[in-house]
Parts: sequence; structure tokens; C-alpha cells
Amino acid sequence: MPADPHSRRPAVGEGPLTRLALIGLAILFLAAFLALPLVAVFSQALAKGVGAFLKSLTDPDALSAIRLTLTVAAIAVPLNLVFGVAASWAIAKFNFRGKSLLLALIDLPFSVSPVISGLVYVLLFGLHGSFGPWLRDHGVQIIFAVPGVVMATVFVTFPFVARELIPLMQEQGVEDEEAAIVLGASGWQTFRLVTLPNIRWGLLYGVLLCNARAMGEFGAVSVVSGHIRGKTNTMPLHVEILYNEYNFVAAFAVASLLALLALVTLAAKAALEWRFADQIAAAKR
Amino acid sequence: MAIEIRNVEKTFGAFTALGGVSLDVRSGELLALLGPSGSGKTTLLRIIAGLDHADAGEVSFDGQDTRDRAARDRKVGFVFQHYALFRHMTVFDNVAFGLRVKKKAERPAEMDIRRRVDQLLTMVQLSHLATRYPSQLSGGQRQRVALARALAIEPKVLLLDEPFGALDAKVRKDLRKWLRHLHDDMHITSIFVTHDQEEALELADRVVVMNHGQIIQVGTPAEVYDHPADSFVFDFLGGVNRLNGVIEAGVARLDGKAVRVDGAVGADGPAVIYVRPHQVELGVAPAEGVPEGKWSARVSSLHAAGPVARLELDLAGRALEAQLSRDRLSDLALEVGSWCTVDFRHARVFPAKS
Amino acid sequence: MTAAASTTATKPARRGWAFLAPTILPGFGTAFGFTLAYLCLIVLIPLGHMALRAADVGWDRFWAITLAPRVLHAFYISFGCALAAALINAVFGLVVAWVLVRYRFPGRRLIDAMVDLPFALPTSVAGIALTAIYAPNGWIGALAKAAGFKIAFTPLGIVIALVFVGMPFIVRTVEPVLQDLDAEVEEAAASLGATRWQTFTKVLLPAILPALITGVALAFARGVGEYGSVIFIAGNIPAVSEIVPLLIVARLEQYDYAGATVIATAMMGVSFLMLLGINFLQRWTRSRHAR
Repeated sequence: MPADPHSRRPAVGEGPLTRLALIGLAILFLAAFLALPLVAVFSQALAKGVGAFLKSLTDPDALSAIRLTLTVAAIAVPLNLVFGVAASWAIAKFNFRGKSLLLALIDLPFSVSPVISGLVYVLLFGLHGSFGPWLRDHGVQIIFAVPGVVMATVFVTFPFVARELIPLMQEQGVEDEEAAIVLGASGWQTFRLVTLPNIRWGLLYGVLLCNARAMGEFGAVSVVSGHIRGKTNTMPLHVEILYNEYNFVAAFAVASLLALLALVTLAAKAALEWRFADQIAAAKR
Repeated sequence: MAIEIRNVEKTFGAFTALGGVSLDVRSGELLALLGPSGSGKTTLLRIIAGLDHADAGEVSFDGQDTRDRAARDRKVGFVFQHYALFRHMTVFDNVAFGLRVKKKAERPAEMDIRRRVDQLLTMVQLSHLATRYPSQLSGGQRQRVALARALAIEPKVLLLDEPFGALDAKVRKDLRKWLRHLHDDMHITSIFVTHDQEEALELADRVVVMNHGQIIQVGTPAEVYDHPADSFVFDFLGGVNRLNGVIEAGVARLDGKAVRVDGAVGADGPAVIYVRPHQVELGVAPAEGVPEGKWSARVSSLHAAGPVARLELDLAGRALEAQLSRDRLSDLALEVGSWCTVDFRHARVFPAKS
Repeated sequence: MTAAASTTATKPARRGWAFLAPTILPGFGTAFGFTLAYLCLIVLIPLGHMALRAADVGWDRFWAITLAPRVLHAFYISFGCALAAALINAVFGLVVAWVLVRYRFPGRRLIDAMVDLPFALPTSVAGIALTAIYAPNGWIGALAKAAGFKIAFTPLGIVIALVFVGMPFIVRTVEPVLQDLDAEVEEAAASLGATRWQTFTKVLLPAILPALITGVALAFARGVGEYGSVIFIAGNIPAVSEIVPLLIVARLEQYDYAGATVIATAMMGVSFLMLLGINFLQRWTRSRHAR
């Protein structure tokens, strides 16, 4: 077994047996909870052969679900990106009263059940919601339509970019920006030429996580979407519908696409962490 | 450019960083702001740069109030303590930054920028590293890039925040000399902040000693070293012996014997006698008794490496440090445990703080 | 020359209450204004509106809905299973973090990257995958059936799903603390004659504890609200394996808006109270084992 960081310190560290047992236990636990579900998704998807797998993916409803998922992410992610940059600029670069309250409020969506994240919009814009009748009279539909799906997704993915950027920008301090301004740069030039390059990898990291959640969100979207096939079904919802119809191959086929997305996200995340660790985490430079 | 600072005040919450500070900086001089941490020296520097706003008072450049001039329009060169080099830009791009962000009308042509940056890099002896990134440079090299970047905008004032603080001792000395030469060539009004008295005394034309948000003394290095305004300055500017004595009828006394002191003696009462180690005069102890007007002490330890010998003495139960040349030490033939006479060439006395 | 400090200021000092500390960086107004407006529109107004709607229901009906046996049982299942899963994760998550930080073995990097899978995998995918494994005809479910018990469609299944969802929270909060631990402290303990186990329980564990509690709290909070990965494996049998989020959805589907609103608000209230309690617990351990 290659050297571990403690091997040069003979006084500490466990005996080889304990070590082996712990590693074995960890691997067994992770295999049961992480590897097995992944294997299950792909094996079930291909249970009836590649033909059935591809047929489920090219089904018009599946295609429409894929399209909607991409559309929703394409709207929600940029919105939360802009918000994340604005919030972290205000919070990390300035000192103002009530900063920790603002920070706590930004984290709020993390501690709200996805179902409630959808429910709050139903109560506002649904047919029996506070603005429901008014919206109906003006011919606008939000709940059981795409706008509702977008809103619920925005709510759920709200903190992701800000959460990555705030500690990073706090750790970088304001010296670089001050230097740029003393050298004569305008506010916009300072942001574009100095701040943005400093946070670009952290930003990408946040966008990656935000996007994974936006494409995969189920609970919140499920409440507002109305599950209208070909119209308001995203991929995770389509998985549920197919599964509940006992169409397991199709359900797992669509699920395997989402699992693939998760794997790609993890790979990109690991690559970013490995290559730009110092520019992502608010850690030692 | 001359800078006048009038009654500048600054508080951070309950903490008074500057409590009404006034100072005249002469055109072309190299001025040191010297003080312990929390003395307000960096705050003053940042206020001059426009990086912080004073709560009250004014700072004017050549007679013009700067209050309404934003930091970016002040034409101040600022070298940050940790250099604040832009990590994603090469050395060249860092130095060129100030020129490239100028408004279109004022921006030099790219050719001219190139020439100017090359010039600056030659001056700071870094032309060969123009395409490197800051992370690939040593501390001393980063410091010089920061300086070149600050000079690129042709500032009228150069401000340096702890310019040598993050460097190791050897590099620090070299860079200090180099900066002095640079200043002598360019004659740009420069102010640097430091907590290192040796640095301030060696490098600056004049030294401003600060403590608790106040300026305690301003003067040439020789003036502040030889004629400290008060006990704080005496203490801060290098090693000093503090001996508890008394003032009686206008005479400072240590163990009953009169001490010759420079300057005012002050009111009667308990007092502290300040004397620098190299002002302690040692002599051969006579066979019997103590000579008139001198004290007797025993050598408790002796360090004789290098040109100067350092002795720890026991003067009637007080620890006293003395410095003398190796030649003088061998003349006296002192060793640990031997007795000698003690006298003070220059001493100061300040009333003891209650 | 001594500069006299004048006490007469040229203009009155600006002291006292200031919202924003003085700065030369631009853009605070725009950034802060946008942040606040966006936060209000997306999060605060919708959540506040829900609380108002719950208040409209009236005190008596609020309690009648919340204290109905089916609802109470759902609360019991949601919070109980989330707690059980978080505690299971506290043990295994700590082992995983320990192994990843302390040991070097082939495949470590791959495992390290895979720990985040529950963050990245959509919950409905996790839900159907776990069901496929733990259902009576699944790979592990069949084994359990042979041994005479059921995993899927019981609270045990819910716990399994929540262990999956919560695991990265523990590993990722404990990992950095383990990494920062000073090996010298362990050497000191060893040189003073402590066994490895004593060093772990008396020196290491107290240092890790605050992070571990944070991780457990995060996993617990996430588990309480979890929906997608649970509903497939839970079977959703009323008064047996029905969770609160599902109950909310069920009420909505019956157009019982008041019921859904009240249960949702009560759930948020309980969650906040528990998080507050955990917060205090955390402060307490931190002050006791201040590093």
C-alpha cells in the first residue's frame, strides 16, 4: 500500500489490520449506497437491450422532457449566476449592518423542503392562489405551466453560485480591487479585469453545481408542473411517470441520461478541484 | 509634491485610529511613518491615498484639498503590503495595467505603453521576467514588480505600506539600499510605513514616530534617535536600559548617587532613567570601595561574537545591558563573575508612570 | 519638533450609526439592491405569503389539522427517519472521511469524487434506483426477504434513502477538519502513553465533534424535507411509511390548500426550532473544545 501522510510518523497511525478493516468498511458502505444504485440504473435501462433503450429515449414525450429540462436550466442558471455575483460582491467586498442576516437568508432555500418550495408558488399563482383569479382573467398561466417550473427551479437552486463565491471573494479580500482603482481603473474595469479573472473557476464550479440541481430537481417542480406530458414534464418528472406506469425500461433509460449528467458533473467538478483547488476553495493560496 | 495634513481624525467603531493628526510632507523627501501596530500609521497612509476617508480634517496636495478627488484620480502610486499583484496577469501586464485602463483620449498607444513598461522593468531589473506570472517570482521580485506598477502611472507621490514586511532579512537589506538609490534618482515624494525602527532610521530623510493615533515626534533619524521626545520614542527606537530611580530637588539619583542626564529632569518623585547599552561606560574595579559618582556591578553573562561585545550586568539587583568594543573588553579583562565600575555617558530621565 | 495634536476638528466627525462602512469600491448600491430585491421576490415574499395564508386558517383549525393522527405520524416518520439516517451517517461518514484523509490506497481519488454523487444525482433517479435494489425482488431486497424482513415500503427503506442523500454532508464537513488536525497533537498523546483508541476518543474526537455535529445537522435538515428519493422506496402507506412532504403533496392534489399550507408551515416551524437547538449544541461544543 503506498505511503500515507502519517506513515513517516510511526508514533501515530493504526496498525495494518485496523487500517485494512476501516478501508474495507468504507468501501463496502460506499459500494452499497453509491455504486449499487448507479449500476442498477444502467443495468435496468439496458435490461431489454440497446434497441428498447434508444426507443425510450427518442419517444416524443421523452424528447420534449429533455427539451424542457434544458430550457429551464438555461433560464434558471444564468439568473442565479447574476444574483450570485451581485450578492457576493456586496457581501464579500463591503462591510454593512445585517450582513450575517443576509447570509442566513440566502441559505434559506437549502433548509426548505423542495415540496414547500413548489407550494409557495402554488399559493401565490395557482388557481386558488392569491393572484390566481387575476392571472386567469388576464390569460396568464404560471402554475401547471413552464413559468412555474422555472420559478420553482430558481428557488431551489438560488444559493448555489453565491455560496461558492462568497467565501472565495471574502478570502481574496479587497487589496486587488484597491490596487486597480489606485492605478486609475473604473469600477467596471476593476470588476472585469481584476475581480472576474480571480473568481472565474469558483464561478464555473458554482454554475456546475447549480446546473446539476436545476436539471435534476424533482420535488419542487413536481408540485408546480401538473405533469402534463409533452408540455410541463421535465426529465426527472418523466422518470416518475414512466416508473408509475410500470414502464421500467423507459424510466431507467431516461434516468440513465440523468445519471450520466451527474457523472459528467462529478468528473468536471473533480477536474476543477484538482486543477484549480486554490482558486475554488477559500483555502490557503 | 508637498502634502499637508491638517487635524485628520479617523475612528473605527470605538477604536480611535487617528486622533487629530497634522503633518507637513516636503516635496521630494522620503518620509517614514514609524510606530507599533495599531498606532494609526497605515490608516494615515490609506487616507493620503484616498483608500480610506477621514472622519474630519483635510489632506491637501500642493495646497489643493483632496477631499473630492477619488482615489483613481489622485495619481498616487501605492505599493500594498502584500503587493496585490494581479495573479492572472504576467509581470508585463501588471505593470501596463495603469496605462491600459486610462480613458481612450489619455491612453498612450500600445507601442508607447510597451516602451514605457520595458523602461520600468529595466529600472527594477526585471526585464528578463516580463512574461512570468507573480506566483513564479520570489518575494523581492514581486515587491519590485509592485513598485514598477505603481510608478507606471507617473505618480506625484509614492506610498508604500510596510514595503519590506513580508521579506526575509537578507533580501530586506538589499532592497532597502536599492530603494534609497531609486529615490535619490527620481526625487518623488515618498512615504513608507514601517514598524521596524532600524528600517526607518536607515532609509528615511525624516521619521514620523506615531503611537495611539497621535504623532509623537517628527525629525531626522539622528534627531529622533539622539533626542527622543519622550520615553515611548526612547523605548521604541532600539534597545534601552530602564532603571528605577528618583528625582530629588531637580537631580536624578540612582541608589543615592546623582546621574548626569541630558535635557529636562522634571518634577520630584519616582523616575525612570533611560540609557542605551552603548552609552554604558565600564571601568576596572579598584581594589577597595567604589569611586566617587560611579556604580559597581558584576558581570552575569557575556556574549563576545562579532565586533561588539554584549554584557549582562547585575547592578545592585537590576539587570543592565552594556555594549562595548572587543578591544575595550580585552583591556578591561572582564569575565563572568568579575566586578567593574559603571557610569553613564548619556542618559535621560522621565517621571515614572503611575 | 513635535506635532501638536489639535483637538479642534475642521468639520464635525461623522460618527455613530452608519449602514455601510466607508469604502472606495464602487457598485455596492447596485449589487446590494439587486441582491435584496431578488431575494425578496424569489424567497422571502413567497415564504412569508405562505405563513400568512397559514395564519388565515385560524388557530383552532391550525391545531386540528396538525394534530390529526395521520399528520402526527407523518411528522414522527419524517423526523425520526431523518434523525436515524443522520446518526448512521455520523458513524459511517466519519469512517469514510477518515479513510479518505488518512490512507492512500488505489482508487482513493475515484471514491473521493464519488462521495458527491448524492448531490449530483437527481432525487427521482436515486429513488427508483434504490427501490430497484431494496424491493423484495431487488438484489438486496431479495436477500432481506430470504432472511425474513422487508426493507422497501417500510420506514427502514426511508432511512436507507436518507442515508444516501445525507452521506456527503457528513463526509464533506468532517474532511477539512481532519485534514487540518495537527499530527503533533497525536504524537504528543502517544508520547504521553495514550493508546491509539484513547488518542482517538480523548484527543481527536473532541476536535472533530463540532464539524460532525454540523454535518449531522445539515444531513438531518435535508432528510426531513427530502421527497424525491423517498417516495418510491417508502411505499407511502398512511400511518406506516408516509412522510410529511408527501402528505403536503397529497393535500394539494385534493385541492385542500389550507391543509397543505398548515402542514408545510408547521413543518418549517419544527425544522427551524430543531436547527436552532442544534445551533446551540454546536456553540456549546465549540466553546468547550475551542481550538
